[in-house]
Amino acid sequence: MSEMLFYPLAASVCIFAGLAVTQKNVFHCALYLAMVLLSIAGIYFYLDAPFLGVIQILVYVGGIITLFVFAIKLTAHIEDKVIRQTSQQWVPSLMITGILLCVLFRFFSQNPWANPNLGKPTTLAQLGNFLMTNYAVPFEFISLLLLAAMVGAIVIGKVKK
Amino acid sequence: MIPLEHFCLLSAFLFCAGIYGALTRRNAIGILISIELILNAANINLVAFNKYLGTNDGLGQAPTVPSGQVFALFVVAIAAAASVVGLVLIIAIYRHAKSLFTEGFHLMKE
Repeated sequence: MSEMLFYPLAASVCIFAGLAVTQKNVFHCALYLAMVLLSIAGIYFYLDAPFLGVIQILVYVGGIITLFVFAIKLTAHIEDKVIRQTSQQWVPSLMITGILLCVLFRFFSQNPWANPNLGKPTTLAQLGNFLMTNYAVPFEFISLLLLAAMVGAIVIGKVKK
Repeated sequence: MIPLEHFCLLSAFLFCAGIYGALTRRNAIGILISIELILNAANINLVAFNKYLGTNDGLGQAPTVPSGQVFALFVVAIAAAASVVGLVLIIAIYRHAKSLFTEGFHLMKE
Protein backbone atom coordinates (compact mmCIF):
# COMPACT_ATOMS: atom_id res chain seq x y z
CA MET A 1 0.00 0.00 0.00
CA SER A 2 1.18 3.49 -0.69
CA GLU A 3 3.17 5.07 2.11
CA MET A 4 1.66 8.48 1.62
CA LEU A 5 -1.73 7.07 2.57
CA PHE A 6 -0.69 7.11 6.22
CA TYR A 7 -0.54 10.87 6.64
CA PRO A 8 -4.05 11.68 5.36
CA LEU A 9 -5.38 8.90 7.60
CA ALA A 10 -3.46 10.27 10.61
CA ALA A 11 -4.68 13.79 9.86
CA SER A 12 -8.28 12.64 9.69
CA VAL A 13 -7.82 10.73 12.98
CA CYS A 14 -6.51 13.88 14.69
CA ILE A 15 -9.14 16.24 13.24
CA PHE A 16 -12.10 14.00 13.99
CA ALA A 17 -10.78 13.12 17.46
CA GLY A 18 -10.51 16.82 18.25
CA LEU A 19 -14.05 17.37 17.00
CA ALA A 20 -15.36 14.36 18.92
CA VAL A 21 -14.19 15.71 22.27
CA THR A 22 -15.10 19.37 21.74
CA GLN A 23 -18.41 19.47 19.88
CA LYS A 24 -21.54 20.38 21.82
CA ASN A 25 -23.97 18.04 20.10
CA VAL A 26 -23.41 14.53 21.45
CA PHE A 27 -24.99 12.85 18.44
CA HIS A 28 -22.47 14.58 16.17
CA CYS A 29 -19.71 13.47 18.57
CA ALA A 30 -20.74 9.84 18.10
CA LEU A 31 -20.58 10.28 14.32
CA TYR A 32 -17.12 11.91 14.58
CA LEU A 33 -16.06 8.96 16.74
CA ALA A 34 -17.21 6.66 13.92
CA MET A 35 -14.98 8.59 11.50
CA VAL A 36 -12.02 8.29 13.91
CA LEU A 37 -12.54 4.54 14.19
CA LEU A 38 -12.81 4.13 10.40
CA SER A 39 -9.55 6.03 9.91
CA ILE A 40 -7.87 3.85 12.53
CA ALA A 41 -9.12 0.79 10.64
CA GLY A 42 -7.35 2.21 7.59
CA ILE A 43 -4.17 2.55 9.63
CA TYR A 44 -4.50 -1.11 10.63
CA PHE A 45 -4.74 -2.06 6.96
CA TYR A 46 -1.61 -0.04 6.33
CA LEU A 47 0.15 -1.84 9.20
CA ASP A 48 -0.43 -5.30 7.63
CA ALA A 49 -3.17 -6.18 10.11
CA PRO A 50 -6.18 -6.57 7.79
CA PHE A 51 -8.04 -8.89 10.17
CA LEU A 52 -7.83 -6.30 12.93
CA GLY A 53 -9.06 -3.60 10.54
CA VAL A 54 -12.08 -5.70 9.59
CA ILE A 55 -12.76 -6.44 13.27
CA GLN A 56 -12.45 -2.72 14.02
CA ILE A 57 -15.07 -1.86 11.38
CA LEU A 58 -17.39 -4.70 12.40
CA VAL A 59 -17.23 -4.36 16.17
CA TYR A 60 -16.66 -0.65 16.63
CA VAL A 61 -18.39 1.04 13.73
CA GLY A 62 -21.04 -1.64 13.35
CA GLY A 63 -21.66 -2.40 17.01
CA ILE A 64 -20.44 0.17 19.47
CA ILE A 65 -21.41 3.25 17.43
CA THR A 66 -24.89 1.77 17.00
CA LEU A 67 -25.07 1.34 20.77
CA PHE A 68 -23.98 4.94 21.30
CA VAL A 69 -26.61 6.20 18.85
CA PHE A 70 -29.30 4.14 20.58
CA ALA A 71 -28.24 5.40 24.00
CA ILE A 72 -28.27 9.01 22.78
CA LYS A 73 -31.69 8.61 21.21
CA LEU A 74 -33.13 6.78 24.26
CA THR A 75 -32.06 9.52 26.63
CA ALA A 76 -34.07 12.35 25.15
CA HIS A 77 -33.32 16.07 24.95
CA ILE A 78 -29.63 15.73 25.75
CA GLU A 79 -28.62 16.81 22.25
CA ASP A 80 -30.04 20.20 22.99
CA LYS A 81 -27.53 22.73 21.78
CA VAL A 82 -28.09 25.34 24.46
CA ILE A 83 -26.93 23.02 27.26
CA ARG A 84 -23.31 23.60 28.24
CA GLN A 85 -21.34 20.40 27.67
CA THR A 86 -18.00 21.12 29.32
CA SER A 87 -17.40 21.30 33.04
CA GLN A 88 -16.01 24.35 34.82
CA GLN A 89 -12.59 22.72 35.13
CA TRP A 90 -11.86 22.83 31.41
CA VAL A 91 -8.98 25.33 31.73
CA PRO A 92 -6.86 23.25 34.16
CA SER A 93 -7.79 20.12 32.18
CA LEU A 94 -6.57 21.75 28.99
CA MET A 95 -3.32 22.80 30.72
CA ILE A 96 -2.70 19.30 32.11
CA THR A 97 -3.41 17.69 28.75
CA GLY A 98 -1.23 20.21 26.93
CA ILE A 99 1.69 19.60 29.29
CA LEU A 100 1.29 15.83 28.88
CA LEU A 101 1.18 16.18 25.10
CA CYS A 102 4.31 18.38 25.06
CA VAL A 103 6.21 15.90 27.24
CA LEU A 104 5.19 12.96 25.04
CA PHE A 105 6.05 14.82 21.81
CA ARG A 106 9.46 15.84 23.14
CA PHE A 107 10.15 12.31 24.29
CA PHE A 108 9.21 10.70 20.99
CA SER A 109 10.99 13.25 18.83
CA GLN A 110 14.21 13.09 20.86
CA ASN A 111 14.44 9.29 21.15
CA PRO A 112 14.14 7.79 17.68
CA TRP A 113 14.10 4.04 17.45
CA ALA A 114 16.88 2.24 15.67
CA ASN A 115 16.31 1.08 12.13
CA PRO A 116 13.61 -1.57 12.41
CA ASN A 117 13.82 -4.77 10.40
CA LEU A 118 10.40 -5.72 9.21
CA GLY A 119 9.45 -9.38 9.22
CA LYS A 120 7.03 -10.94 6.83
CA PRO A 121 3.46 -9.87 7.51
CA THR A 122 1.38 -12.26 9.54
CA THR A 123 -1.21 -14.32 7.73
CA LEU A 124 -4.65 -14.88 9.17
CA ALA A 125 -3.90 -18.59 9.65
CA GLN A 126 -0.86 -17.74 11.79
CA LEU A 127 -2.88 -15.27 13.82
CA GLY A 128 -5.64 -17.82 14.49
CA ASN A 129 -3.09 -20.50 15.32
CA PHE A 130 -1.37 -18.16 17.76
CA LEU A 131 -4.66 -17.16 19.33
CA MET A 132 -5.73 -20.74 19.92
CA THR A 133 -2.40 -22.07 21.20
CA ASN A 134 -0.32 -19.43 23.02
CA TYR A 135 -3.25 -17.26 24.09
CA ALA A 136 -5.96 -19.91 24.47
CA VAL A 137 -6.62 -19.22 28.17
CA PRO A 138 -6.97 -15.41 27.81
CA PHE A 139 -9.20 -16.05 24.79
CA GLU A 140 -11.54 -18.15 26.90
CA PHE A 141 -11.49 -15.53 29.64
CA ILE A 142 -12.49 -12.89 27.09
CA SER A 143 -15.49 -14.97 26.07
CA LEU A 144 -16.42 -15.35 29.74
CA LEU A 145 -16.09 -11.57 30.19
CA LEU A 146 -18.34 -10.92 27.19
CA LEU A 147 -20.95 -13.32 28.55
CA ALA A 148 -20.81 -11.61 31.95
CA ALA A 149 -21.15 -8.19 30.31
CA MET A 150 -24.15 -9.36 28.30
CA VAL A 151 -25.94 -10.83 31.33
CA GLY A 152 -25.04 -7.80 33.45
CA ALA A 153 -26.36 -5.42 30.79
CA ILE A 154 -29.68 -7.27 30.66
CA VAL A 155 -29.99 -7.31 34.47
CA ILE A 156 -29.09 -3.63 34.91
CA GLY A 157 -31.18 -2.43 32.00
CA LYS A 158 -34.34 -4.26 33.03
CA VAL A 159 -37.16 -2.00 34.17
CA LYS A 160 -38.10 -2.97 37.70
CA LYS A 161 -41.81 -3.33 38.28
CA MET B 1 8.86 3.75 5.27
CA ILE B 2 7.02 5.68 7.97
CA PRO B 3 9.20 5.92 11.10
CA LEU B 4 7.84 4.31 14.23
CA GLU B 5 7.83 7.64 16.06
CA HIS B 6 5.05 8.96 13.85
CA PHE B 7 2.74 6.22 15.06
CA CYS B 8 3.72 7.07 18.62
CA LEU B 9 2.98 10.76 18.02
CA LEU B 10 -0.41 9.97 16.49
CA SER B 11 -1.24 7.72 19.40
CA ALA B 12 -0.06 10.34 21.92
CA PHE B 13 -2.30 12.96 20.34
CA LEU B 14 -5.28 10.61 20.34
CA PHE B 15 -4.61 9.69 23.98
CA CYS B 16 -4.41 13.35 25.04
CA ALA B 17 -7.62 14.18 23.16
CA GLY B 18 -9.31 11.34 25.01
CA ILE B 19 -7.95 12.48 28.38
CA TYR B 20 -9.13 16.03 27.70
CA GLY B 21 -12.61 14.81 26.78
CA ALA B 22 -12.86 12.52 29.79
CA LEU B 23 -11.81 15.35 32.12
CA THR B 24 -14.00 18.10 30.72
CA ARG B 25 -17.23 16.47 29.58
CA ARG B 26 -20.34 16.94 31.67
CA ASN B 27 -22.23 14.40 29.64
CA ALA B 28 -21.67 10.77 30.65
CA ILE B 29 -21.98 9.53 27.05
CA GLY B 30 -19.30 12.04 26.05
CA ILE B 31 -17.01 10.57 28.70
CA LEU B 32 -17.56 7.08 27.26
CA ILE B 33 -16.72 8.38 23.77
CA SER B 34 -13.45 9.80 25.16
CA ILE B 35 -12.59 6.47 26.81
CA GLU B 36 -13.02 4.75 23.45
CA LEU B 37 -10.49 7.21 21.99
CA ILE B 38 -7.99 6.34 24.75
CA LEU B 39 -8.34 2.60 24.13
CA ASN B 40 -7.84 3.11 20.40
CA ALA B 41 -4.66 5.09 21.05
CA ALA B 42 -3.29 2.08 22.94
CA ASN B 43 -4.32 -0.20 20.08
CA ILE B 44 -2.47 1.82 17.44
CA ASN B 45 0.71 1.55 19.50
CA LEU B 46 0.31 -2.21 19.97
CA VAL B 47 -0.16 -2.89 16.26
CA ALA B 48 2.60 -0.50 15.15
CA PHE B 49 5.17 -1.93 17.57
CA ASN B 50 4.17 -5.43 16.54
CA LYS B 51 4.83 -4.65 12.88
CA TYR B 52 8.12 -2.82 13.43
CA LEU B 53 9.71 -4.83 16.24
CA GLY B 54 7.83 -8.12 16.13
CA THR B 55 10.28 -10.53 14.48
CA ASN B 56 12.15 -13.23 16.32
CA ASP B 57 15.47 -13.06 14.48
CA GLY B 58 17.37 -9.90 13.71
CA LEU B 59 17.27 -10.44 9.95
CA GLY B 60 13.61 -9.94 9.24
CA GLN B 61 13.30 -13.36 7.63
CA ALA B 62 11.09 -15.07 10.19
CA PRO B 63 7.38 -14.30 10.22
CA THR B 64 6.22 -11.66 12.66
CA VAL B 65 4.95 -13.00 15.96
CA PRO B 66 1.44 -11.50 16.18
CA SER B 67 1.36 -10.85 19.92
CA GLY B 68 0.49 -7.19 19.46
CA GLN B 69 -2.41 -7.98 17.15
CA VAL B 70 -3.75 -10.55 19.62
CA PHE B 71 -3.55 -8.00 22.43
CA ALA B 72 -5.30 -5.43 20.23
CA LEU B 73 -8.09 -7.94 19.61
CA PHE B 74 -8.45 -8.40 23.35
CA VAL B 75 -8.57 -4.64 23.84
CA VAL B 76 -11.35 -4.37 21.23
CA ALA B 77 -13.36 -7.09 23.01
CA ILE B 78 -12.90 -5.45 26.41
CA ALA B 79 -13.82 -2.04 24.97
CA ALA B 80 -17.02 -3.54 23.58
CA ALA B 81 -17.90 -5.07 26.96
CA ALA B 82 -17.05 -1.85 28.80
CA SER B 83 -19.13 0.36 26.54
CA VAL B 84 -22.11 -2.03 26.71
CA VAL B 85 -22.12 -2.04 30.50
CA GLY B 86 -21.37 1.68 30.66
CA LEU B 87 -24.22 2.65 28.33
CA VAL B 88 -26.68 0.42 30.17
CA LEU B 89 -25.62 1.98 33.47
CA ILE B 90 -26.08 5.44 31.97
CA ILE B 91 -29.58 4.56 30.75
CA ALA B 92 -30.46 3.12 34.19
CA ILE B 93 -29.21 6.26 35.93
CA TYR B 94 -31.07 8.41 33.42
CA ARG B 95 -34.32 6.62 34.29
CA HIS B 96 -33.71 7.36 37.95
CA ALA B 97 -32.20 10.85 37.92
CA LYS B 98 -33.70 12.17 34.63
CA SER B 99 -30.32 13.66 33.81
CA LEU B 100 -27.13 12.67 32.05
CA PHE B 101 -24.83 15.25 33.55
CA THR B 102 -22.21 13.97 35.93
CA GLU B 103 -22.78 16.58 38.60
CA GLY B 104 -26.30 15.14 39.02
CA PHE B 105 -24.99 11.66 39.83
CA HIS B 106 -25.00 11.65 43.63
CA LEU B 107 -27.47 8.86 44.21
CA MET B 108 -25.28 7.17 46.81
CA LYS B 109 -24.94 10.25 48.99
CA GLU B 110 -28.55 10.35 50.07
